[in-house]
Amino acid sequence: MLKIQEIRELIKLIDGSSIDEFEYEFDGSKIVMKKNAGATAVVAQPAAAPAPSPAPAPAPASAQPLPASDAGGEKSEAAPAEDEKLHKIVSPMVGTFYRAPSPDAEPFVKVGSKVDKDTVVCIVEAMKLFNEIEADVKGEIVEVLAENGQLVEYGQPLFLVKTE
Amino acid sequence: MGEHVARTKDQILTMLLKNMNAFVSGQAICDRLGCSRTAVWKHIQELQKEGYIIESVPRRGYRLVQRPDRLSEAEIKAGLKCQVFGRTIIYKESVVSTQKIAHFLAEDGAEEGTLVVSDEQTGGRGRLGRIWHSPKGSGIWMSLILRPALPFHRTPPLTLMAAVAVVRAIHAATGLRCAIKWPNDVLYEGKKLVGILTEMQAEENRVRAVIIGIGMNVNTPSDAFPEELKETATSLKIITGKAYARAELIQAILFELESLYHLYLTEGFRAIKLMWESYSTSLGKRIRARTAHGDVVTGVAKGITDDGVLLVEGDDGRVHPIYSADIDL
Repeated sequence: MLKIQEIRELIKLIDGSSIDEFEYEFDGSKIVMKKNAGATAVVAQPAAAPAPSPAPAPAPASAQPLPASDAGGEKSEAAPAEDEKLHKIVSPMVGTFYRAPSPDAEPFVKVGSKVDKDTVVCIVEAMKLFNEIEADVKGEIVEVLAENGQLVEYGQPLFLVKTE
Repeated sequence: MGEHVARTKDQILTMLLKNMNAFVSGQAICDRLGCSRTAVWKHIQELQKEGYIIESVPRRGYRLVQRPDRLSEAEIKAGLKCQVFGRTIIYKESVVSTQKIAHFLAEDGAEEGTLVVSDEQTGGRGRLGRIWHSPKGSGIWMSLILRPALPFHRTPPLTLMAAVAVVRAIHAATGLRCAIKWPNDVLYEGKKLVGILTEMQAEENRVRAVIIGIGMNVNTPSDAFPEELKETATSLKIITGKAYARAELIQAILFELESLYHLYLTEGFRAIKLMWESYSTSLGKRIRARTAHGDVVTGVAKGITDDGVLLVEGDDGRVHPIYSADIDL
């Protein structure tokens, strides 16, 4: 992980450059920076753990989905320092976030919903591949962090779950 | 008992299908299946009632000369040129949705390549719960279970791969050249011929299954489409005026899917991208991409990336990567 001074230095450099987006991944940590109309957004998060053994080697950097232009906005988060009782459900890929199985159906979950490990909490769709996301923890939804129909990024937090 | 009888009939059909237009002796069937000549004769009569035209010539045996457009496990398996896909076939006369059954089977541990196929869906669905019109006997309604060992971000191109496979299969079976609208709509002269719905079951860090649902309008007459679909949907029958054996089309689809899936797992999307581009109807043209949020990007479709992401050069001069949107031409 980079030191805070190094990140500051990077922000300065990128701010003064013509680069719009910057992504840096090393040893399980990842930094993504984007510039939107003058504002600089910095998102740092642990990279997703590599898939288990039979999976092919991790894709080269170019195969990483690019963050899309219209999502993101201003936000900044520090990665590992979080309340251990609060679990973040993050998006495993870039795509559209759907809270319900169809436009006129009830959302999969709401604030206050009890979830189990295998409870489906939302769908993320990319290129018409619909991925049902499971909670992966047992607990209660305390916050919904994305809006229905919104484009979400790889690793973007979607729900906060108070774990049991 | 009933089960066993049905199996014997299917086995006889398989032998006849493998020797289409050639004689199979009654004795050979008896020896292979361990049943009596009378039993064979009864099954042959059953098959004839189902629409199979089987000649029976003394001393030479039975010869299948024409098969009806009928779906069954035996019909799809006879002549199937696949290693893994279609090894397990679940055929049902009528289901609510093949996709639903495939989901259950996948959760239950069904092997890769398991195919669910039906003559009719009473509640066929498209994406986001949209209804997919799937009347009895007129089309292909199928769902295939894959278990790819891929990281999540490499799964979406499977939808583009499926579209390429379907276009190639249609070409092989009918000679028609269809087009693909990003990412996976299969069109003929702008009308929708095939719909593909791909869904993924995943755990925290692992893809459990990818289920590719394919709905193809094959022998649907134009008056069978509901009013609101007549302008936008078509079938092979409407295009060529001919009827097609659905089992043969399914075999062609499975064959193409298996080859391209293997290519994708070993070589990545790049090899399939070239084929996708050659079938694309939108590249180089002005399009409109509408996101679920209501955002619209208008511009020229420049190409797709090595991950299948559509690149649109907007009227603002910027290139927008499109991951998820409805495209209007």
